[in-house]
Amino acid sequence: MAASVVTVDRNLKPGVTPILKGFGVTLKAFFDSLFRRKASTIEFPEKKRSVSSRYRGIHVLTEREDGTPKCVACYMCATVCPAECIYIEAGERPEATIEKYPTRFEIDLLRCVYCGFCVDACPEEAIIMSRENDLVGTSRAELIIDRDRLMARNELVEHGTGYRPADHDVRRPVRIAALERLKAEHGIVPGMPGTRS
Amino acid sequence: MPKCTIDGREIEVPAGTTVIRAAEELGIRIPRFCWHPDLPVDGNCRMCQVEVEKMPKLQIACNTQVTEGMVVHTKSEKAKEAQRATLEFLLINHPIDCPVCDQAGECYLQDQYMDHGLYGSKVELEDKVRKRKLVDLGPIMLDAERCVLCSRCIRFEREVTGTNLFEFVNRGDHTQISTFEGRPIDHEYAGNLADVCPVGALLSHDFRFKMRVWFLKEHESVCPGCSTGCNVFVDERDGEVQRLRPRRNADVNRSWMCDPGRALYKEIGVTSRVSGARVRGPSSWEGVTVAAALDRVAAALKQAGSASAFLASPQGTNEDVFAFKALAEAGGAKLDFRVGDPQKRLRERIDRVLQRADRNPNTQGCLDLGVGRDGVDAILAACRSGRIEALVLQGPEILRVPEVVDAVAKVPFVAVMATHEGPELDRATVVLPAALWAEAEGTFTNCDRRVQRLRAAVPPPGDAAPRWELAAGLLLRLGRPLGAATAREVFSLLAKATRGYAGLDYRAVGGTGRPLPPDESASPAQEARA
Repeated sequence: MAASVVTVDRNLKPGVTPILKGFGVTLKAFFDSLFRRKASTIEFPEKKRSVSSRYRGIHVLTEREDGTPKCVACYMCATVCPAECIYIEAGERPEATIEKYPTRFEIDLLRCVYCGFCVDACPEEAIIMSRENDLVGTSRAELIIDRDRLMARNELVEHGTGYRPADHDVRRPVRIAALERLKAEHGIVPGMPGTRS
Repeated sequence: MPKCTIDGREIEVPAGTTVIRAAEELGIRIPRFCWHPDLPVDGNCRMCQVEVEKMPKLQIACNTQVTEGMVVHTKSEKAKEAQRATLEFLLINHPIDCPVCDQAGECYLQDQYMDHGLYGSKVELEDKVRKRKLVDLGPIMLDAERCVLCSRCIRFEREVTGTNLFEFVNRGDHTQISTFEGRPIDHEYAGNLADVCPVGALLSHDFRFKMRVWFLKEHESVCPGCSTGCNVFVDERDGEVQRLRPRRNADVNRSWMCDPGRALYKEIGVTSRVSGARVRGPSSWEGVTVAAALDRVAAALKQAGSASAFLASPQGTNEDVFAFKALAEAGGAKLDFRVGDPQKRLRERIDRVLQRADRNPNTQGCLDLGVGRDGVDAILAACRSGRIEALVLQGPEILRVPEVVDAVAKVPFVAVMATHEGPELDRATVVLPAALWAEAEGTFTNCDRRVQRLRAAVPPPGDAAPRWELAAGLLLRLGRPLGAATAREVFSLLAKATRGYAGLDYRAVGGTGRPLPPDESASPAQEARA
């Protein structure tokens, strides 16, 4: 439901009239929601507002058809990240076509500023964002989300995917900013990964 | 001395100098793959083509000698175009797999294709010639697809180690480097192959996938592995040393370094470091603060007076040894360093490249500072006869020597400055935590009497402090302060007090060290061995 904008006349003279007018508004809203089901609020968390398909919510690590992470542990996201919230450890996967993969991939969601630079810097479409934005936990450690939890998020259908490379145009300012940061500060441009025959 | 102009700047160089070296001297970097300052010129990659006025065609800067009045343009339209075309040829079969390649960030090919904006390859991945990937050559991983066929590794094997392990095989597009039958590399200079390789074809197994190089911060230092004193970079991230890498010094190690030296970073960040002081209590060790431990040692030294002995360590820096010597002299005690004859193997080489038989970095410094004074044998004899009441060791290495063990057992008070835990520390009364070479400022004097500087790259663990600081703490407690608060000041004191070091300070030592005049008092036998 879209929120409507109410215009307020601030030149009202003090007195009883504005108070009564105010009560009138309250009463109208009260009866509207009670009998006509026209409430501006929703019953969160049972119901959720729909957000843009380019919404930058909690990250998702995408996977290949065989269930392994698409990520090749190139550290582009960790390099470009302005909040330094991504921690990666790389390992060797000798039997696969691409020999490098992340043995650890952790994002500190409390440090993350949800800028989407990681998605822009990724040469693999391995990290994308979801539309999920309700971040709740009982401890800080719980909100440092590891590789397996990031990959399990692939199955989250209720929110739909958020910001991902398929949506963006290469000329988009966010992507240009991310790539320029990589190039200017680190002298690198993410290329395409190699495969083995 | 011909004079030439490169990119509008004049330079006079000795006859026979190549254009690329003259440009280096001016700080102009001409793109290159096959040229390396310490390898013979090959001229095969054609990347360094430059325009020379009055020459009809472009010349390769690495093999063109400077002549009088030569005018060179390295960045002219013609030169740029030639370099760009060369790059395109190299990129035909290159997989451009920078995301998974460890060389990314220090790769000539990556740097140069970015300079020219050649971000993508014009050839589809499926059409590229496939070569051997992921070949494990022991300390090195070979990926022939990434190779640009510059032959640096082949020339390194031929000229430096003389082992000739690498050669080109096949022809044309299918040319690739290989060892004979894919055998592993078995010499102790394999790490240099990863360094000379301008691309990601030869990569270090040890550093594989460990870290992206752009996260690393480099610190100039000196390898403590032997008396050669190779100049190194200590590459560190967040206080953790990730690798050692040779730093070019034409007079010491050129661009090379041995693998045992490269592995020395591993001893820095281990959990078995001594991080706090401890003294022997009635039944077991008691952890104490460094100050309390120093109090205890100072009390023992005061009580022992001249019945104390000091054994310095050639693992310590000149500053460490100088402060230690001052400490010994404060009490009129006996002083020497190291078991055996220190001069004997100081300059003896154990291979034809770099390594020397003396595995201590600062034996020459100990000799120069006059620490070899009373003789280790005499000190040990005094220990055995019970005439020594307090023994201070600058390093625990000596406790591992069997002939020393029984002598030390006779001494009622033994203090040792240690970096790593070990069973030998149980023979001490007080253990003081010492900083390692990568954690302290200081200087080493190598076997050729070259004073070279170390820099603190990472913080020492826990309470550990440089050994000169521990010695200075003891001097303060004995009422004879050293009069220096930093390693730089200790070195200035040392320079004043030591023959041959006069007038030296850290500034004069500089980045690549300062050779001292040969010591006249050196024995002729030592010179003959060199």
